[in-house]
Amino acid sequence: MSAEALAVPITLGEVSGYPGLKPMEQVRNNESWSRRGHMLEGSIRRVDDAVLIREAQRGDRAAFEELVRHYDQAVLRLAFHLTGSEQDAQDIYQDAFLKAYRSVGRFRFECSFYTWLYRIVTNLCLDHLRKKQVRKEDAPVTMGQDGEPHSLLDQVADQRAGANPEHDLLRRQLGARIQAALGKLSGRERMVFELKHYQGLKLRTIGEMLNTTEETAKNTLFRATQKLRVSLAEMR
Amino acid sequence: MNCEWVKANITLYVYEELPDDGRYELEQHVARCADCAAELDAMRGFRSAMSAAPQLEPTPSLLAASRMRLQESLETAEQHRGWRLLDPMIWLRQMKFSPALATALLIAGFAAGAGATWRMAPRGVVPAIVAGNPQAAEASIAGIRQITQMPGGNNVEIKYDTVVPQKLEGSLDDQRIQQLLLFAARSNYNSGVRQDSVDLLARNPDNTRIREALMASLLYDTNPGVRLKALESLGPFVKDHTGVRNALLQALQNDTNPGVRAEAIHLLQPARADGSVRMVLERLAKDDRSEYIRKQAGRTLASLPEID
Repeated sequence: MSAEALAVPITLGEVSGYPGLKPMEQVRNNESWSRRGHMLEGSIRRVDDAVLIREAQRGDRAAFEELVRHYDQAVLRLAFHLTGSEQDAQDIYQDAFLKAYRSVGRFRFECSFYTWLYRIVTNLCLDHLRKKQVRKEDAPVTMGQDGEPHSLLDQVADQRAGANPEHDLLRRQLGARIQAALGKLSGRERMVFELKHYQGLKLRTIGEMLNTTEETAKNTLFRATQKLRVSLAEMR
Repeated sequence: MNCEWVKANITLYVYEELPDDGRYELEQHVARCADCAAELDAMRGFRSAMSAAPQLEPTPSLLAASRMRLQESLETAEQHRGWRLLDPMIWLRQMKFSPALATALLIAGFAAGAGATWRMAPRGVVPAIVAGNPQAAEASIAGIRQITQMPGGNNVEIKYDTVVPQKLEGSLDDQRIQQLLLFAARSNYNSGVRQDSVDLLARNPDNTRIREALMASLLYDTNPGVRLKALESLGPFVKDHTGVRNALLQALQNDTNPGVRAEAIHLLQPARADGSVRMVLERLAKDDRSEYIRKQAGRTLASLPEID
C-alpha cells in the first residue's frame, strides 16, 4: 500500500493558518479568487472579532457567544484529537471558553484572539496529557457519552467514492499504528505536531501559543517527526 | 550547505517552513545528492502517511451538546473585572455619562488622600496653616471636614484636607517620569496637559506601554488635538504592528473629527495592501458621509496594484 494512494487532501481550513475557517464558497475553480476570498474573509473576521471582543469586554454575553461560534469547532477538534475522548474534549472545551469569558477583560489585542484562545486551550490539553498516562500499546478505545467503550477509529467512515472494505481496513490499521506512535510522544511534542500537521498553523504562531520561541517549536517538531518515523518503522 | 544541514532542515522544508533561500539551496543539493533525495522522499512519504490516517472529527451532536453546556454555565459565570476597576480609561468613559459618579469619585479620592495624610501625621497634631511654613503655604485647601467650636472661649477647631503640589524633574527615560506622563495622558482633565504628555510620550513610541497609551489616547481622548498628536506618533508602526493598524482603522471609521480621519487615511497608506485596510477603504469610498473621505479612500484604492 503506498502512502500516496491513501492520501487525504488537506482542506482549505487547514492551510489557511486560521483554524476553523471555511472558504467563502465551497467551490471555486479559480485559485486566485479562492485566495482573495480567504484574505477578505480573514480581514472581515479580524474586524468582526475586534468589535465582538470589545463588546464582550463590556460584559455582553451574546457577543462572547458569537465569538465562541467562530472558534469552537476548531477548539473541540483539537481537544478531541489530543485526548481521544469525547468526554475529555467536551470538558476542555467547557473549561477553555469559561476561562476565556472570565479573562476576556484582560485581552489587550497584543496578539490575535485565536492565538490567545489557543494558548488557553493548549495549556488545558497539556495539563490533561500530563495527568493522563496514555497507554502506549492500546488502540484508541475510549468511553463515549453513552458510557459504552468503543474504538474511535470505528467512528471514521471512509466517505470517498470507490472506497472498498479491504482499503478501509488497511486505512484503519494505518490509523491505529499512527495513534500508537503519537501516544509515544511527549505532551509538548504531540501538541506541536498536532498544531503543525493537522491544524496547519505556522511554527511562529505555535511558538506564541505555547509561550515559547519559534526556534524551540522548530526543534520540537523535528524531534516529534523523528520519533514518529522511528515508531512507525518499528511497527511494520 | 552539506548533507547534515539538509537532514536537519528537511522537516521544515516538507512543512513549508523553510525560507525561500533555504528552500532553493536545499533543492539544489537534493538534485545532486542521492542520499538526501532519498531522505526527502521518505519525509514526504511520512507526511502523506500521517495525513492518510483516519481523522477523528467531533460529531455535530457533540458540538451541539458542548455548546448547550457552555451556554448554561455562561449564564452564571462572572467576568474578572478587578483590574478593570483600576483602569483610568474605564473610569473616564463612565464619568462622561455619569456626573454623579464623577463627583463620588472625586470625593472618594480626596477622602483617601486625606486618610493617608492623617496616618502620616504625628498623633494629636492637626495640620494647620502656619505663616512661614512653606509646604502649607503652597498647599491648596481641598475641603473642610469638620468645624468644632471649643467650649468656653472663641476658639474653633477646623479639620480640613489639603492638596500639596509635588514636583519631579528627570529624563524622559526615567521610569517615574514616564509613569507620570502616562497618567497625565490618560487622566488629566486639562487637555493642554494631556497634549503635552502625549507629545513627550510620542518621542519614545518603541516602548510597548507607551504605544498602548498612545493608542488609548487616539481612540478615547475627547480632545481632537490630543488624538491627532497620538495618531501622528503611531504612524511609523502602521505597517508592521497589527494592533496599531487596527487602532488607526478604528479611528478612521469612528472618529468624529474630519482632520483626524483624513490624517488616518494618509498614515495608513503604507499598509493599504493589507486586507483589513483595503476592506475599510472600499467601504468608505462607497458610502462614507464625508465627500472628502470618500475621495481620499477612492484615490488610495486606485493606487493599489490589482491582486489578481
